Order: sequence, then structure tokens, then C-alpha cells
Amino acid sequence: MALIEIDTLSVTFTAKGRPVRAVKGVSLNVAQGESYGLVGESGSGKSTILRAICGLAPVSGGTIRIGGQPLPHPRGPAFSRQVQMVFQDPYASLHPRHTIDRTLSEPLAIHGIGNTDQRVTQALNDVGLPPNFRFRFPHQLSGGQRQRVAIARALMLEPSILLLDEPTSALDASVQAETLNLLNRLRAERGLTFLMVSHDLAVIDHMCDRILVMQHGQAVEELPREALARAEMKTDYARSLFAASADRMLGA
Amino acid sequence: MTLLSVKNLRVTFDTEAGVVEAVRGVSFSLGRERLGIVGESGSGKTQTGRSVLRLIRPPGRIEADAMTFDGIDLMKASERDMRALRGPRIAMVMQDPKYSLNPVMRVGEQLMEGLRQRDGMGKKEAHAKAIEALAAVQIRDPERVMDAWPHELSGGMGQRVMIAMMLIPNPDLLIADEPTSALDVTVQAEVLSILDNLVRTRGMGLIFISHDLRLVSRFCDRVLVMFKGKVVEELPARDLMKAQHPYTQGLLNCLPRIGGPREPLPALDRNAAWAN
Repeated sequence: MALIEIDTLSVTFTAKGRPVRAVKGVSLNVAQGESYGLVGESGSGKSTILRAICGLAPVSGGTIRIGGQPLPHPRGPAFSRQVQMVFQDPYASLHPRHTIDRTLSEPLAIHGIGNTDQRVTQALNDVGLPPNFRFRFPHQLSGGQRQRVAIARALMLEPSILLLDEPTSALDASVQAETLNLLNRLRAERGLTFLMVSHDLAVIDHMCDRILVMQHGQAVEELPREALARAEMKTDYARSLFAASADRMLGA
Repeated sequence: MTLLSVKNLRVTFDTEAGVVEAVRGVSFSLGRERLGIVGESGSGKTQTGRSVLRLIRPPGRIEADAMTFDGIDLMKASERDMRALRGPRIAMVMQDPKYSLNPVMRVGEQLMEGLRQRDGMGKKEAHAKAIEALAAVQIRDPERVMDAWPHELSGGMGQRVMIAMMLIPNPDLLIADEPTSALDVTVQAEVLSILDNLVRTRGMGLIFISHDLRLVSRFCDRVLVMFKGKVVEELPARDLMKAQHPYTQGLLNCLPRIGGPREPLPALDRNAAWAN
């Protein structure tokens, strides 16, 4: 049984009185321990799927099940302990007036988990930040360091699933490499399941086992990683996406 | 023909912790071509781009042995002359649409502002021109975007709006600071081909600032690689794979590749001695 099961999910927003269908009947399954990628251009609905899982987007049809269970509405504390999200922009996703210590200890306080001191220090250590960063504010950190804090925060409750919404697109190439290495190491150490969104096929290829290509809110094509490297796409759209990333090929 | 020539540019900031040298002696010249400036954050590439427009506020200081644009001495030009240059002659596409668009003004008004104020264009004409500019950057529903507020746009849309805005006055030199970093690959390819077209058909010069070495190599004629405020290597884009400098090689190798191995990506070697 798959850990994340999404069946004909639809999300409809209302913008200025007219409905905008951001996601139209998308189905996907992610197995325990798998890393699954969603690719597509902006506005294709890939981030909206992650937000729908977290209860942050208005679901208008279909079901989302995690571990076989339908998700309660609103999502309860048990959900937060199982699923956490890392957002795209580390400049916007950390509270600017909370110290790193407060940002990291808040989930513990909400869930009544003790031993805060040790857990915060350990979390910083796990993402490769020195312990004295605890008392800094986000503006005293670089983009890559902030994204490490965001990853540490997502891991505070020891979830089994991480939803990654373009976790490196706001970062430099060199810092991106460090962050991707960190995510891969954490996944191996903790047996995490990733559902990752990116527009960069090379990043997705490096991180994910299976890939779903999306366009205009619809699933276009699902393909395993090996098929991507061999350019074995069946649809024209997936092929054009691949062609646009040609300079990301090995040996190019 | 040389459009822009910069000799020994230095940008320094006096901070509480002492003098910070963001750019330390950068020289380059640019014709009607595409020059790429590559480096990590903090390497001084953005400050170099901003210096050309003299967009560095105190306590920042710009010093240069010479900085001329189309025969105009940019170091000596008055603030008034600079204002006349910014926009119609030299335009800059900023990095982040979230901070660079006016949040309390509809997109359409921002696009038309320059046309109405500077060119004294009628409302209808300016509207048509703005729609045309949005269409040129491949925005599917320009009428809707004209009525939208900046916060209603995605990053990619916002970035395209800014590019459209900068291209309206048809500048001679476009400084694009990470113009496609927030865009996905297909849009990125479209935006690059739009920029490419403009450089060729309008004979525009382009300074393309990016941290993505491969993208720059595909798109530019020449590449400057910056590290800690200095140019460590300058080379024709087509010879990038033959780059000699270890920093340039490091930047090339830290990107994941499709079909590449699953091992950890190589970390970038930052040897401070290279910047001396």
C-alpha cells in the first residue's frame, strides 16, 4: 500500500467571482520511503497539490489519503507529526522577528514535547549549522542557512513525510548542491518519504525515483527516473520540457 | 564598437564593522553583445551591474578609473543626466519581482506609467503598448494581468512583467540581474529567446548576471567569472568547458545533471587566495 494516495484530486479557487481550476483530477501514489517529483511550469498546479495535502488549498473533488486514512479537516496535530512542508522562499517562510531558537522550539511547545534545549541543538547539528545560530534572527543568515533552518523546523516533530516545494530554487547553484546533499542524507538516515516540486528537471532527476509531469493543472505523464535519463517520454509536452533542459544533460 | 567601458571599478561600503569592498577592481568593455557575469551570492556581480547605473546609495561608494557609456562619462554625469539615461538608454531588470514591483499599484498602471509620464502617450495607446509588451514575454492572458496586483502574480509572471516593463522604452543596454532564476525551464527558454531576439534585432547590449554558469554559457558571447569582488576568469562562452580556473570548474560541477550519478554533489572549493 502506498503511503500517500491521491485520487482524482481537484482544487478550485475563486478569483474575482470566477472559478480557477488549479488542479484537475490528478492521481498519484507515493510508496513508503520513495522520493516522488512533480515537474511543470509555473501555474501547472504542482505546488497546489502540496498545499492541498496540508489543507491550505480548497479541495473541490477527489480524495487524499495518507497511510490509508483520509485526512481530517482541519488537519489535526497527528497530521503535523507525520507530514511537514519546506517552502520555496526561505526569506519569506521564517518569522523575521523570532529567533531561530523560537522558530525551532515552537512546534515542540505546541505538541507538548519536552527536552527542548537538547532537541534544538541536535536539530541545528543535523542540518549542519553551528549551535550558536540558535540566538540569531533570520536576517542574520544567508539564504542557504535559512533554508537549512526551514528544513530543521520541518524535522522537529520527526515526520515521516516531507513535502518540498522548490526547496532550492531561491538558492545559488553551489548552495543548492549543499542543500540537496543535506536532504538526501537526511532521507537516507531517517527513511523519509519525499514529495518534491521543482521546475528543474536536473534537480528532480538527482533527487527523485519517479516523476509526474504536469501542465495546466493536469497530469501529463508519469515516468521513472531511468526513462527520463534515456529521454523516453511519450508525450510532446514532457519532451519539450526535457528539450528545454538539454544543457542539464550529462556530458552536455 | 564599444558601448560601455569600465576600468578598475571599485565599490566600497563603510559599515560599523569597517570597510567592505564589494567590488575590487573590475574592468570590462561591452559592445552590442551579450556579456555574462557569473558568481555566487556576495561575489559582487549585482553591485557591478548597479554601479553602471550609479544605483548604489551611501554609505556605498563607486570609484573607477573610467566608466563610459556611448561617449558619456558615467562618473561625471549629473544626477539629472543619469535619470535621463536610466530607462530609455540603460535599463535594468531586477532580481526579485516581489520587492521590485510597487505592491499598491496594479500591474497595468505600472507598465503604463513610463509611457504616460515620459513619452506623454494617451491612455488608450499606452494600454495597447503595455498589452503588446506583455504578449511579447509570452503572458497568456495579458488583459487579466494588467488588472492584477503584484501579489496575485506568481514569481515567473512577476519576472516577465518586469522584463516587459524594461523593454518598453527600447534601451540600448539592458542589465538583467538574475532575470530567469525564478522561472521554470520552459519559460526560461522563452524569456531567453526573447532577450536574444532583442539583442540581435535591436542591436542591444546585454549584461546578464546569473549564478547559473551553464545557462550563461548557452546564452552569452563572453563570460566573466567573479569571486569575492574580483574577476577570476574571463573567457568566451563556447570555451567554458575548457575553463582553467578551479573556481569556474567548481561552479560547473556543482550542478546536478539529468542521468548523472546519485552521489553527493561536489561542494564548491572557496579558496580565499584566488581573490588576492
